[in-house]
Amino acid sequence: MDLMHKLTILTEGAKYDAACTSSGTERPGNRGLGSTLAAGCCHSFSADGRCVTLLKVLMTNICIYDCKYCVNRAGNDVPRATFTPQELAGLTIEFYRRNYIEGLFLSSGVIQSPDHTMELLISTLSALRYKYDFWGYIHVKTIPGASPSLISQLGHLADRISVNIELPSEKSLKMLAPGKTRQSILTPMSQIANEIRTGREELSHYKNAPRFAPAGQATQMIIGASPESDLHILNLSSGLYEKYRLKRVFYSAYIPAVADSMLPSLDSKPPLLREHRFYQADWLMRYYGFTAGEILSEQNPNFNPFLDPKAGWAVNNIHSFPADVNRAPLEVLLRVPGIGPTGARRIITARKNSLLSLAELKRMGIVLKRARFFITAAGYTPPIRMNKEAAVRALIDPSVFSFGTEQLSFFSPGSLKLPGAGDTRSMEEAVMEASKCISANL
Amino acid sequence: MHLGEPLAQPRDIVYVYDGTVPGFYCCVYESVFSRELPLAVYSEERFRPSFWPLKNISPDENVARKVQSAIAKKISPRALELVENVCFSCMENKEIYLLRFLQKGFSIGRKITGMLGDPDVAPLLKAEGHLLRERHLLVGFVRFSDCGDALTATIAPKNFILPYIASHFTSRFSGENFLIYDRTHNAALIYQDGRSQIIRAEGFVPPPVTKAEAIYRSLWKQFYDTVAIQSRENPKCRMSHMPKRYWDNMVEMQDQL
Repeated sequence: MDLMHKLTILTEGAKYDAACTSSGTERPGNRGLGSTLAAGCCHSFSADGRCVTLLKVLMTNICIYDCKYCVNRAGNDVPRATFTPQELAGLTIEFYRRNYIEGLFLSSGVIQSPDHTMELLISTLSALRYKYDFWGYIHVKTIPGASPSLISQLGHLADRISVNIELPSEKSLKMLAPGKTRQSILTPMSQIANEIRTGREELSHYKNAPRFAPAGQATQMIIGASPESDLHILNLSSGLYEKYRLKRVFYSAYIPAVADSMLPSLDSKPPLLREHRFYQADWLMRYYGFTAGEILSEQNPNFNPFLDPKAGWAVNNIHSFPADVNRAPLEVLLRVPGIGPTGARRIITARKNSLLSLAELKRMGIVLKRARFFITAAGYTPPIRMNKEAAVRALIDPSVFSFGTEQLSFFSPGSLKLPGAGDTRSMEEAVMEASKCISANL
Repeated sequence: MHLGEPLAQPRDIVYVYDGTVPGFYCCVYESVFSRELPLAVYSEERFRPSFWPLKNISPDENVARKVQSAIAKKISPRALELVENVCFSCMENKEIYLLRFLQKGFSIGRKITGMLGDPDVAPLLKAEGHLLRERHLLVGFVRFSDCGDALTATIAPKNFILPYIASHFTSRFSGENFLIYDRTHNAALIYQDGRSQIIRAEGFVPPPVTKAEAIYRSLWKQFYDTVAIQSRENPKCRMSHMPKRYWDNMVEMQDQL
């Protein structure tokens, strides 16, 4: 089979993987080929608007497992291919030299046995690192069920290593991924976490200690194939960040690729809005100082389709506003709808030098569309006294209307009905209707 | 707040300089010591004859160095960095904005660097941000072709970002020879046998595509097309992350133009 054909099959099999980041480690060049950037680097954007940074492919799409949701499941009738380590290493180098990519993102189906598959991954990475002297970014997915010594070898060759959580609960795993158990996922995850930690300690003793996954560990799970609540999933992420010191948790909206009676039907749309809400919440936990419990609760266990999670918090905590931009501490500024980490830091620098009015804020690039209802500044107080309904009207997420009539929580059809184009005469009216309905329900 | 006497009076006069950064510092020197804020400052390239009286500012390395160190000492090192970045940016009439900023800076000192919302500071920060963002994008969007002897690429950025991406590429591809041609600014970054320089270059024509090069291009194109998920197609989102004006020089976008 020629390289073009293989590349097509093995990209097809890898494309549903959410993660495609090349961040987390800064390695200068001048040694062999390649370097890495702490912030990562996008090289292109595909037609779905996702960043293309790494050559994201499978080693093979042959698989001995039969996970129900997976395109590469053993029982699915698709063309199969396998790269040789030489082929894949060579292709990576040629793409890299042309600045198409930041490096390689390699995962794989399980061919013959987990350990055999691991050996293929290891020889590909060894060829890159030692034959080609390649020091660009490598993200690798370890194979469930692989022996610890091979995981250790793989981690010493890669920048980032990850184990997919796959599904948010043991029950869903049993149902949809019968070859995998919670234990078989968490054991390598904790081994990796330990090796990363001891690697850091060694590095402080010996400067040239080989580094284990310097860009850390990540994971991903599928959203919308199984019935867990948003709160359940968010608590899970929060626990993973804490317990295993993960760098990232990725959420991937379930895209029906195979028909199965236990899965959403083939014609169901991927829950993109719900996925989007998870990333927003994840960001709030990592960069804004929110906890999972502040974002969702037992009373409101699912995301609101109309309000992003930060807006949702603001609506329920109206008493904490308005915040005075000339005095409020960073933590408080970060909770103002419409102000992000960059804006908040700018405000703190600028107010040391002069009193800030709306004009200054505008010139500094702070977007006031939403923020103006929640702040005071020199010579400015919000135009209206805030109550729940007014806050909802100010914060309602306009993008929700472009996501169509997607059901936010797949298995809870009781959630709010979005006003469709037929129900209202204009966007404005839709917003009014929705605000009334939401504030009454909160 | 007392800002002190304005150092300079607006005057109906036009400065013409050579368009280089040291040349611009000489304009600063002239403006400060003549206590005037000119109506306009033009580089020789951009100069159009006008009714206003002209002042030709000739470049002088010594004067430029003096001004440079005065900015760092009397205002702040960050002010100097900002001024240099804006000099390389595509901001329209940047010289006048810079003069206004510097006049004010010499008058009130270090404090100006933190006045992010000030009408004489904010536009410069915006121009700087635009340049740094474009640099960040182009680090990813540059596409090299292997013509056998070297890697070559063409870019067409709005800001003059070659000096800003040079070290990234020379350290990443330290064992290669390469050339990046900037079509907008008629300049090229050349890296050969471990040494790099930026030169003036006009009308660079890329060498013919070799057979091997054509194969890797089509493999990349195939990868790019395959990795997109059809059910998530979102052209608007792609366009906002990867503005159309860069597509021209990107292999994978050729058929989309």
